[in-house]
Amino acid sequence: MDKSEDKQLGRRNFMKVAIAGIGGLIGAALGLPAIPYIMGPALQKESDDWIQLGSISKVELNIPTLFKKTIETQTGWINTEEEISAYVLTSNGQDYVVMSNVCTHLACRVRWIPEKDSFFCPCHNGVFAKDGTVVAGPPPRPLDRFESKVEDGVIFIKRG
Amino acid sequence: MNEQEKKKYLDEYKKEKEKGVPFFPDIIFKDTIAALLIFIILAALAYFVGAPLEARANPADTTYTPRPEWYFLFLFQALKYFPGKLEVIGAMVLPGLFILLLILLPFIDRSPKRHFLNRPFASISAFVVVAGILFLTIASVREAPPPQEAIVVDNAAALYAANCANCHGPGIDVPPGTDLHQIIAAGTHEGMPAWGGDLSTDEIDALAGFILSPKGSALFTQYCSVCHQQPVIASGNPVELQRVFDEGVNYPPHKDVQTANWNETVTEAEINGLLNFLAAPDGQRLFVINCSGCHGQGVGYNGTEEELTELIKKGGQHLDMPAWKGTLSEKDMDALSSYVVDPGQNPGGGTLFGQHCASCHGDKVPKAPDKQSALKIISSGGAHITMPVWGDILTAEQLDALVKYTFEASKGGGPAVGANLFAENCSDCHGKSGQGGPNPALSGDTIAPISSSEYLKTRNDATIRNIISFGQPDFGMSPFGAENGGPLDDDQLDAIVAFIRNWESNPPAEAPSASADVQVPTPTVAQPSLTGAQLFGIACASCHGSSGEGGVGPAFNIKEFQSGRDDQALFATISNGHTATPMVAWGDNLSFSQIELLVGFIRTLDPDYAASLIYSGRVSAIFEENCQACHNPQKIRGGWDSTSYQSSMTSGDNAPVIIPGNAADSLLAQSILGLGSQMPPIGSLSPSDIQVILDWIAAGAPEN
Amino acid sequence: MLVKIGDWLDERFSWREVWEAVFMRKVPHVNWFYTLGSATLFVAIMQGVTGILLTLYYVPTPDHAYDSVVYITTQLPFGWLIRGLHHWGASATVVLTVLHLLRVFYFGAYKYPREATWITGVILLLVVIGFGFTGYLLPWDQKSFWATTVGTQIAGLAPFVGDWILRIARGGRDISAVTLARFFGTHVWILPATLAALIGIHLYLVIRIGITAVPKKDE
Repeated sequence: MDKSEDKQLGRRNFMKVAIAGIGGLIGAALGLPAIPYIMGPALQKESDDWIQLGSISKVELNIPTLFKKTIETQTGWINTEEEISAYVLTSNGQDYVVMSNVCTHLACRVRWIPEKDSFFCPCHNGVFAKDGTVVAGPPPRPLDRFESKVEDGVIFIKRG
Repeated sequence: MNEQEKKKYLDEYKKEKEKGVPFFPDIIFKDTIAALLIFIILAALAYFVGAPLEARANPADTTYTPRPEWYFLFLFQALKYFPGKLEVIGAMVLPGLFILLLILLPFIDRSPKRHFLNRPFASISAFVVVAGILFLTIASVREAPPPQEAIVVDNAAALYAANCANCHGPGIDVPPGTDLHQIIAAGTHEGMPAWGGDLSTDEIDALAGFILSPKGSALFTQYCSVCHQQPVIASGNPVELQRVFDEGVNYPPHKDVQTANWNETVTEAEINGLLNFLAAPDGQRLFVINCSGCHGQGVGYNGTEEELTELIKKGGQHLDMPAWKGTLSEKDMDALSSYVVDPGQNPGGGTLFGQHCASCHGDKVPKAPDKQSALKIISSGGAHITMPVWGDILTAEQLDALVKYTFEASKGGGPAVGANLFAENCSDCHGKSGQGGPNPALSGDTIAPISSSEYLKTRNDATIRNIISFGQPDFGMSPFGAENGGPLDDDQLDAIVAFIRNWESNPPAEAPSASADVQVPTPTVAQPSLTGAQLFGIACASCHGSSGEGGVGPAFNIKEFQSGRDDQALFATISNGHTATPMVAWGDNLSFSQIELLVGFIRTLDPDYAASLIYSGRVSAIFEENCQACHNPQKIRGGWDSTSYQSSMTSGDNAPVIIPGNAADSLLAQSILGLGSQMPPIGSLSPSDIQVILDWIAAGAPEN
Repeated sequence: MLVKIGDWLDERFSWREVWEAVFMRKVPHVNWFYTLGSATLFVAIMQGVTGILLTLYYVPTPDHAYDSVVYITTQLPFGWLIRGLHHWGASATVVLTVLHLLRVFYFGAYKYPREATWITGVILLLVVIGFGFTGYLLPWDQKSFWATTVGTQIAGLAPFVGDWILRIARGGRDISAVTLARFFGTHVWILPATLAALIGIHLYLVIRIGITAVPKKDE
């Protein structure tokens, strides 16, 4: 009697372990894929392709020139068009600096005022020098710069 | 069941329970095993079969055969046995009654018997119902099997059905090498409309692909249409397409997507069909997509068709570059390789480049991705592949079509015919290369260049065609189109437009003088440090002999060669190379002015060159062609009359215009070199003509 | 420590009592056919989990439904698994529910005292079919669109009220954005709530009355 009860007990213990094991297995088989499934879009790295901005031939020495480029990005299943605009500046025709035209204060668009030789943000009167440094107004830091390269007379930028 | 029976059942059940097992873990254990089994089956189905997804719902599609989900099929099938007004019985009454019966079952069957053998009526009825449902389901599947092909919408097939099938029936047998895209777009057939207006280029490509490879279209629908919209990737780049199949799941754009490993799942024949659909074996279209990037609108080719096939198949090889290892020091090679990676950062290499490389590469610094690879190429030299090995990329059908088209096109038509027509009809006013000049019909007016990229970019073919056809009466241009009383028929107009358009990809060898960034060539002064003779020694002598006597390449010092082609043809050949021969496209390595120097030098190799330096030789011809329009006894601009030797030597407001033996001080020499007032005003003479005049004056300007 | 937490919780929830009553109760010896019921419950739960995961990305409008399903299936990591499990799980639920019903029928388990359990079971079967019918439209592909067209058309056959039912089911005369939205709402809100309530009653009855013993043949 005792013996068979022992055996019974061992069998039941095995079953408990098996239930926990199989239950855990199914849970994991469903739960683990769920994590990347949920995280997927968040982990997708932004495309770091070079974006062709345009020919540098229209950039004059020491005059920031505005380039606009519409790019298509895919978010989920929707393609959206987005316009990137940036000022390109060169002091020697060799080295080019590409600056975002988004004010570092509250993200209004700055524009180049040739007469004043500076960038002006109409929202809160932020003023940036030609090289993007803050001259006056509330902006906390200079205009953001894009990583850029020039190939065959065409300037490319990377979105930072 | 009466109370007694109920009590009896409960007592018996109590006893059974006492003999039984605890729910946990005994029963749950079994349940867990069952759950695991089911999970494995479902996961396997998800992995191996996947969840099906057909084409996007199209409410307008009337050809689709609707089918409900499988577990409704029996009902769907049952409806077939209840035609007409009876349908409502099959669809609503019977199922409704059946469900009611199920719900009321415990109240209908009240006998205490439980074992199924003790209740034969109930057991058999249930069996009959189940068997009936199974039978109906199977019957439904068998009667209307899921139509595999028709279910997925083949967009190209639909396009064909909508636009072509009315006249052409289910399919068109097209001889290989037909330029189908163009035919569809322009509708050149009898009674066939030009579809170019109604269909997008993508759609025409898809149609051409469908007509030439209907199987490929079906395969596309089957394999690719879930992700790719059909017409969009039709007429894709064959190099990319081939990569998709070669690299399978490793193909970068497919990396993050769940795709099959195409190499394993698709047969060779299927790949062939797919490729033929996506880049239809349509010669003209293949040429436009694959070749025109480098070759413009056509290639000049003189060999046989077989040789052309071989040539395209094998791709082109660059001429050998010497192995600089041994010739240059380690340090120099290091400096050079840094320079070619980024000239701006390593200006020190520039001098070295000038000394060793510029003679072949001109001022174009070859691009190298990193120093390592640059160093490797410089030290070992060797051939570079310049044209893809199309034999590995294109299917047999595509290759065939491309060869046919290229071969036919090289035999004239299009730009080539247009060039002759242009020379006959247009170049008098617009210049040989459309560079413009003073308007002969309207004094004081200047004709702007029509070969500049601004001009070409801002006008489409139709506009240019209209201008030619109708003329521009306000500017003194008469109508040239036959319908407007001009000399040119429609085909000729198209040929001229094609020739003009051709400048966009193949800018004219003689750059318009109006364009500011190209300097007027100055043949006597070697521009980038090397003279024409030196350049010839470096670039040409190895094949054409050091004095142009010929070798691998043709000889230049013979009459046939020199008289067989004008300067522009020479320039084009040097610049573009010859696809049929090892002749390199020097335009990749030499600058514009260097090639001009070469043309000028090659002209001096003419055996009759020295003999031709007499007025009655080439000089009078040059005068006649370029000067006499303005410098004749009637017009006599600047007081100079160029119609005879005597008048040429003596007349002129600042006579003499020509000082024998002294080219530098001769007004004529200065003018044609653009040193004083540029002559002729509509554009510079060709470099060889300039050379002839200069050499003639230097030789004492003999008459005979 | 665990014991302490268990004790603390037990003082407040009396969970041990519930545990004893639900899991430690004795049941008659039964065979493998008796796992069909719990298997049905298992796939139902799995449908719930995968279904919730699908709603994270699925958008029930005609212009996005198909694209979002393609996105789930081809772009998202393991999206094919989640959608595959949900798709095949739907069929499995129908199959298992019917098999479970047949087991109950052939073992006479619908009889006293389990009549109420049977009736909730039959209604659950209808709910499962409703899930299948509404879920089928959601991918918005040709098959689902046309199957739903035919399916709702059948409802329209009913005398007098048919057209009315048809319009309610479709939210108008044709299958449209409205149809998709209401099928989605039904599929993820109305039916799951009904299902949960009915399963609750069904399980309560099963636990309270106990599962049938395997019937013996009368001589």
